[in-house]
Amino acid sequence: MSKRVLAVDDDPDIIMFVKTVLEEYGYIPLIAMNGETGLSITRGEKPDLIILDVLMPKQSGIRMYRELKGDEALKNIPVIILSGIARRTFLRSQEALTEFGDQPIPEPEVYMEKPVEPAELAEVIANLIG
Amino acid sequence: MDMNKIVLIDDDEDSLNNLSLSLKSEGYDVIAVTSGKEGLDAVERASPSIVLTDLNMPEMGGIDVLKRVKISNTDAEVIVMTGHGDMEAAVKALRYGASDFINKPVSDEVLKLALKRAKEKLVTRERFRAYTSDLENMCHMAIGEVKRKSDFQDKLITSSNDGIVATDENGRIIIFNPEAEAIFGIPRIDVVRKLDFRQLFPPQIADVFGRMFSAGRRMGDVDWQDVMIPRKDGDDVPARFYCTLLFDGEETIGSVGFFQDLREIRRLQQELVKSERLAAIGQTVARLAHYIKNILAGLKGATYVVNIGLDKNDIDKLKTGWQMVERNVGRISYLVADLLAYSKEREPEFRNCFPNDIAEDVCELLDGMAMENRIKVERDFDPSIKDVSMDPDMAHRILLNLVSNAVDACIFDLDETKRHKVSVGTHRENDNIIRFSVLDNGTGMSEEVKNKIFSAFFSTKGGRGTGLGLLVVQKLVQEQKGSIEIVSELGKGSTFIVRLPYKQVE
Repeated sequence: MSKRVLAVDDDPDIIMFVKTVLEEYGYIPLIAMNGETGLSITRGEKPDLIILDVLMPKQSGIRMYRELKGDEALKNIPVIILSGIARRTFLRSQEALTEFGDQPIPEPEVYMEKPVEPAELAEVIANLIG
Repeated sequence: MDMNKIVLIDDDEDSLNNLSLSLKSEGYDVIAVTSGKEGLDAVERASPSIVLTDLNMPEMGGIDVLKRVKISNTDAEVIVMTGHGDMEAAVKALRYGASDFINKPVSDEVLKLALKRAKEKLVTRERFRAYTSDLENMCHMAIGEVKRKSDFQDKLITSSNDGIVATDENGRIIIFNPEAEAIFGIPRIDVVRKLDFRQLFPPQIADVFGRMFSAGRRMGDVDWQDVMIPRKDGDDVPARFYCTLLFDGEETIGSVGFFQDLREIRRLQQELVKSERLAAIGQTVARLAHYIKNILAGLKGATYVVNIGLDKNDIDKLKTGWQMVERNVGRISYLVADLLAYSKEREPEFRNCFPNDIAEDVCELLDGMAMENRIKVERDFDPSIKDVSMDPDMAHRILLNLVSNAVDACIFDLDETKRHKVSVGTHRENDNIIRFSVLDNGTGMSEEVKNKIFSAFFSTKGGRGTGLGLLVVQKLVQEQKGSIEIVSELGKGSTFIVRLPYKQVE
């Protein structure tokens, strides 16, 4: 049975692009336009992989990522961060949250900076979930 | 020198013995010899205070002894003894520096008197020498001190970073230091004691000096002023200059001008402005490139989706891809419009309009998007506002930018407990001004963000914002001679107030 991949991004272009790539390579795409919806879909559907944007309205990717990795039931779902902001900026904001008393959390499995080539994204997904 | 030591010279041994005995009995320490030569040896050896010598002696006479003693470095007084009536020899002896002469045969009284006078002379001379030496020392010290002070001041003037030009009371230049040479581009030797300040200074400075000389004491302090010093080589020097008169009591004794070379400062200022401009351009270009990169990424995604649709003959994919293309074409259009609005000078076009209608139109445009995100758009319009004359297009554009920012601030707010709302208000203020206010209870801004909102391509909205909206607002407000005011608190929300002047309807 095909693996299901959740794409969370507020940019409809990115959603359409990622959705098309997923379909092309034989995955079933799930879609959320903000972190809040993303989290509830994750809890309901238990996807095999999450592709997550960082800058979004309603619960940013930074927060959603912490929720995922802090939740026993969800923390083993691999996450690809696909963002316009640089990897070190993302890591720095995670460190800042940790310093403010939150639990330290692991780094994402893969961090990709936009824009990304379709074949490159497909390869990374295949490496993670086959 | 032993005041009691006497060298006694006489070739007549009897006379020698008599005198010797007589002197010894007076308490003197006597070295008695019978020839001039022995006498001089004794003087050399024993440093007597007094030499008593006969004049008429074979080989070396008393005059020769006297001469030798006087050119030697002893201070001994010489008393000569002459035969009776030999006045000529006595006078000669006095001319050569004898302190006294006595006739032979020598009477004790006369000898005592001569010795007393000689001793007084010695004492006086000793004192005089001490005074002289003191005086010399003091004089030397005083000269040394004066020289040191003068050297110090010389060095101070020579090594000063300021150009120093001083004149005497007639305006003739007497001091022109190396820095002044550098500023005026003329060597010192062509100036000092050769030129008058009127010949050296450009009219602007010469005029100040002239007024200063004619005003004298009544002239108050002259402020530092910036001047341009013309030079023969054409490299005019910008300088700051200050001058003052010099007084000795009430009398004017000269004047001095100080000149600071501003070339280096000006060069640094220009470089700073240039580098700041380059940095600003660099930053602007980088942000613009980033924004265009985002659009390009969208278009690349679109071509991918379109290609898939073409390959598979999938009309839905084609439609989706085409929507992506259109959306990104739209983003480029907005960007170009914002860039043009920002870069073009535009005179406001005053037309009759209703400010409340403009605000209502903007609210209606954004109602849909606000509702989708559970945000309420409230209207608070001043009913006393009638039709006015202002630039309605610009007012519309300003409000649209501000209200859509306010809606975004609510959409991006993470606080789920808030009932998000945006309040748009109009108010008629005195002096022909309409105040538009846009209030939201969204994210609010940190100080850091607040400081950057008017810089080009700064955006907190990720790929959604061009980072030009508020810049355009600011520019349009300025063009209409209005003002903009911002109150914002992180987590609480923001209020933007724009005041635009209007004219009465004709």
